[in-house]
Amino acid sequence: MATTASFVIVSRNDIPIYEAEVGSAAKKEEAAQQHQFILHAALDIVQDLAWTTSAMFLKSVDRFNDLVVSVYVTAGHTRLMLLHDSRNDDGIKSFFQEVHELYIKTLLNPLYLPGSRITSSHFDTKVRALARKYL
Amino acid sequence: MEPDVSIETCSMIRVAVLPIGPVPHALLRDYAAMLARHSRIELASISSFYTEHQKSPFAHQPWDSGLLQFKFLLGGSPPSPWEDFQSHRKVLAVIGICHCPSSPDLDEAVDLFGSACRGYASALVTRCFAFSPGDSQLEDGQNREDNLVLFPPADMQTQELHLLTMMQDIAASLLMEFEKWVLKAESSGTLLKTPLDSQASLSSEEVIKAKKRRLSRAQKTIGDYCLLAGSPVDANAHYSTALELARLTGDYFWYAGALEGSVCALLIDRMGQIDPVLEEEVKYRYNSVIMHYRKSFIQDNAQRVSPLSFELEATLKLARFLCRRELAKDVVDLLGTAADGAKSLIDASDRLILYVEIARLYGTLGYQRKAAFFSRQVAQLYMQQENRLAAISAMQVLATTTKTYRVQSRASMSKNSNDIISSHADSGKTHNQTVLSLFESQWSTIQMVVLREILLSAVRAGDPLAAWSAAARLLRSYYPLITPAGQNGLASALANSAERLPSGIRCADPALPFIRLHSFPIHPLQVDLIKRNPARDDWWAGSAPSGPFIYTPFSKGDTNDNSKQAMLWVVGEPVQVLVELANPCGFDLVVDSIYLSVHTGNFDAIPISVKLPSNSSKVISLSGIPTAVGSVKIPGCTVHCFGVITEHLFKDVDCLLLGAAQGLVLSDPFRCCGSPKLKNLVVPNISVISPLPLLVSRVVGGDGGVILYEGEIRDVRISLANAGTVPIEQAHIALSGKNQDAVISVSHETLQSVLPLKPGAEVMIPATIKAWQLGLTEHEIAGSKKASGSMGRPPKDNSSPMLLIYYAGSLASEQQSNNEKVVPYGRRLVVPLQICVLQGLSFVNARLLSMEIPADITENHPKAASSEVSNNEVSFPERIDSLVKIDPNRGSWGLRFLELELSNPTDVGFEISVSFELENSSSDDSLSNTKTRIDRDHSSRVLIPLEHFKLPVLDSSFFMKDNAQANGPSGRSPSFSDKSTKAELSACIKNLISRIKVRWHSGRNSAGELDIKDAVKSALQTSVMDVLLPDPLTFGFRLSRNASKDENGDSDTHNVSSSSTSPVVAHDMTRMEVLVRNNTRETIKMSLNITCRDVAGENCVEGDKATVLWDGVLNDITMEVPSLQETIHRFTLYFLVPGEYTLVAAALIEDANEILRARAKTTSPDEPIFCRGPPFRVRVMGTS
Repeated sequence: MATTASFVIVSRNDIPIYEAEVGSAAKKEEAAQQHQFILHAALDIVQDLAWTTSAMFLKSVDRFNDLVVSVYVTAGHTRLMLLHDSRNDDGIKSFFQEVHELYIKTLLNPLYLPGSRITSSHFDTKVRALARKYL
Repeated sequence: MEPDVSIETCSMIRVAVLPIGPVPHALLRDYAAMLARHSRIELASISSFYTEHQKSPFAHQPWDSGLLQFKFLLGGSPPSPWEDFQSHRKVLAVIGICHCPSSPDLDEAVDLFGSACRGYASALVTRCFAFSPGDSQLEDGQNREDNLVLFPPADMQTQELHLLTMMQDIAASLLMEFEKWVLKAESSGTLLKTPLDSQASLSSEEVIKAKKRRLSRAQKTIGDYCLLAGSPVDANAHYSTALELARLTGDYFWYAGALEGSVCALLIDRMGQIDPVLEEEVKYRYNSVIMHYRKSFIQDNAQRVSPLSFELEATLKLARFLCRRELAKDVVDLLGTAADGAKSLIDASDRLILYVEIARLYGTLGYQRKAAFFSRQVAQLYMQQENRLAAISAMQVLATTTKTYRVQSRASMSKNSNDIISSHADSGKTHNQTVLSLFESQWSTIQMVVLREILLSAVRAGDPLAAWSAAARLLRSYYPLITPAGQNGLASALANSAERLPSGIRCADPALPFIRLHSFPIHPLQVDLIKRNPARDDWWAGSAPSGPFIYTPFSKGDTNDNSKQAMLWVVGEPVQVLVELANPCGFDLVVDSIYLSVHTGNFDAIPISVKLPSNSSKVISLSGIPTAVGSVKIPGCTVHCFGVITEHLFKDVDCLLLGAAQGLVLSDPFRCCGSPKLKNLVVPNISVISPLPLLVSRVVGGDGGVILYEGEIRDVRISLANAGTVPIEQAHIALSGKNQDAVISVSHETLQSVLPLKPGAEVMIPATIKAWQLGLTEHEIAGSKKASGSMGRPPKDNSSPMLLIYYAGSLASEQQSNNEKVVPYGRRLVVPLQICVLQGLSFVNARLLSMEIPADITENHPKAASSEVSNNEVSFPERIDSLVKIDPNRGSWGLRFLELELSNPTDVGFEISVSFELENSSSDDSLSNTKTRIDRDHSSRVLIPLEHFKLPVLDSSFFMKDNAQANGPSGRSPSFSDKSTKAELSACIKNLISRIKVRWHSGRNSAGELDIKDAVKSALQTSVMDVLLPDPLTFGFRLSRNASKDENGDSDTHNVSSSSTSPVVAHDMTRMEVLVRNNTRETIKMSLNITCRDVAGENCVEGDKATVLWDGVLNDITMEVPSLQETIHRFTLYFLVPGEYTLVAAALIEDANEILRARAKTTSPDEPIFCRGPPFRVRVMGTS
């Protein structure tokens, strides 16, 4: 498992709808904030890059210092973004695919307004479990 | 590293611009700006200043198209250790700026300039420009030979022209100096070194190497000067040589430098004509530049000096060159590499410059988020330098990021974005997606961090307003994410900032509280406005919904329009708007003042101050006075809180609430304070109209409400005063509401007589009201109230009647702007008559009591009775003293009472008196002076004697008041049916009941009437006929001793004398007579029977054991009694046994007419009509 990893789902309106610090490193508030900044900045790159490929998994699109941003763009232009310091593309890809499935399940909930925050604790638990498994 | 580098930087001549002597800041900036306009001097324009001393080394100088470029460094810069490596880093000229008025001594200025120039050893040309000199200075200056240039005071254009000339002169001088330098360098050669070259240990090998390298370095430098001189072709030639030589000597660093120069020469040669081929070439060469810089990295002196900054600069130069949207990927890669390099940079300021440049390039590329990210990195680096200037820089850099992070101050927000938000908010029901877009980029963590950093840097920079604004934004937007302790910290930050601010300062960013529009109290009923209909006399009609239905489909369109533009305010009359404040934070909030903010300028808002405890919300009423006719727009409130005045817009909060409803923003501040959800309120168009009259009402003597017992009658006086500034010319009173009939009278005339009512005038209007009966439920309410002991408060219900007073000023119409004549509005004053009806005497039961006491047969009483039987019984009011009376028509003692059982559940005593209105006397006939008193919590029975109502004559008029046919002798008419009988009956009962009045008094001034109609009606329903109508025949018995004289001549004087004591004695002939009276208007034929019964009820006249003997006829006496006459039949009885006997007369009426039948309630016409008199008692004494 990566020592540092931060996972964010960003809706098509560029609003983060799910955030999780999934790294095994000691959680520091300062670092978590920096992660958010990096992920937020990476959106600029994703926005151009997403249209250059038909693949959903964009691999690592951006980096800052030794942190890398990997992105997975769904068909609805929801972006699953992972900030990590390990180079484990396969694991990350599997992680993204599984989370995508989970996200679709959330979307299917008639009470969920697409684009609003995902507050389901079940989703959170599952995502964290997937992170432990793949990252 | 240097900021703002590009490939062309190599061709720019550095000029230090230094202020000489004191120069005001603003002026210095103006002069520098003037200079900066001349940063490009064309070669063609300087030819007149140029003199070729010897053959120019710049053989290919493009005199017609080339130019010299200047880079002005205001304030100069320290010499760079890399000056030798890149000539453009040298400061080649120094320009002093002197402001003559502030430095009068020119010599001193020249000295100052000279010493300033000493710091720039590399400067080839120095000039000191002295602006706006005085006359003496001008004179002085003309004799000078030094490099002081005086600019005579002139207008802007002339000065610019002067400056241009001087710059061209400088350019020419520089050009000549460059030629000199190059010629010298070519001939003698110079030693060129960089910090990279190891100084300490020059081994023999190194010395040889250095010698070899010297030539290439010299060529590179000459190339640099060619570039500066604006001759790219010459430069290119020299660079090519230098490249060749550097490659041979392995001097990578200088190789890279020469390569950079050659690219610059290439670009300048092409004069900005960029084509893809050239772009590829530049990219290729620059990649090579970067590679060679990297190659030149030497491990052993890496701690001291590193070519890394050159590598990064080259990267940035290339990125800047490529910086276009299409090449974004390349640029991003380059910038990514550059950013990675930041870690290895030794100098912190280099890192700062690098991040600044990266941020700028990303910004140029349109990657605002990336730009913001690096801007924040810059700010962080600034913050690490713990000083005020750095903090100011950090604050300013962060301010540029706020737009991207969507936390910008409202002051810096563009008008455009505001409009978008407002249009969203106005439409109310927006599509989900557009709602979402309103809350785009809600990266709350990031936003909070940025705001916190702005706050921190503002505090450190000593900018209290910026700090206040940041703290306000932080607190307002992110309070749910901040711990109470943090919220307190922010509150104190706000307070601390406010202390340093001048009082009354405004800030664009609102802090707390949250304010939303609660409601507009649509006109209080007292000042209701009515559109006047000038065509009608009742001008108010038509404005209020007419007809029984609240909703009519036809008026729908109208009402919709009205609701949107319904708000009308009147000049000079205070208005109120309810707003709700919420303080969702964990500290007590003191709002020093809050008032409606109106930008239309015709509204005086009245400020109030509010205290909001933590986590609370409050609805407050804000008031103000419209001052001029026009429209009023209320976008929000102005709040003075935490020492700063801010404007809180309603639409912002509406937006927030909309987002909260969708789950997009963190929390609804009102909900978390426990305030209920409000409907989205549409702000009406408010227009102000010119002054109208204003009536105010007051019920005289009854402040709260009149408390009345059921049925109580009271006079009230209503005082009306004109509180407006316009006289009232029309007025009308109408009634409305429930229980309207409680208002017995209102004096319309009083009001009409005082018109026009001048401002300030007052009028009293008397009105009489009568309390209504409480319904069943109201009784219960009253009962429960009583039980709970809150009797004093009148129950809040709307059962009271209301007086509607329509009034208006003069009809003179105003001229509106659109030339439309508009009649000024009328008004309606609603005066609710606050009547609180308390349960008074309550009616329990009504019964008709009826009994007959057989009359003793005496000589006198029947006589007295018969004397009274004289048709107009009604005219004997003196008989009313006693309640037990002889029924004049029947002759018996009759008791017939209406018994009313009343209970008094109240806590006061009541006195009851009963009176009737008799039929043909208009005055009230007080039945008795005795009053029945009912104490509290007691009940009592009131008896109302009823025989007074008995009609003297049984005639058809009673039954057939409106049916003439029934009177006809022809017999029964079909219309004389049961139905009409019933109708007549009920009419008759009504008539009867309306004549009974039960009045009560309580205390000193409560008086009223008991409403017993229904009760009496039900009690009388069955027996009204008996009560009201006399029997057709009246029978009476009497001893006829006196009469016998007239008839028979038998006189029994003993008996006469003893009759008073013992009228009838056994074993004696007792003469009697039966008196039959016909009460109808027809002659009645009948057969009369007289029976005598003993105590046991046995007939004692007939049969085996008869104890009474008789003389005369007792049975089947046929007699005919004329109308309203009496007939007497005499007989004699002989009682064998003393005791009590009862005499009863009965008659069988022959040929009865309809009236009699109706009276007797016969069912079939053949049924015999039997008429029976009341029993008469005979006490027979023994003889012994």
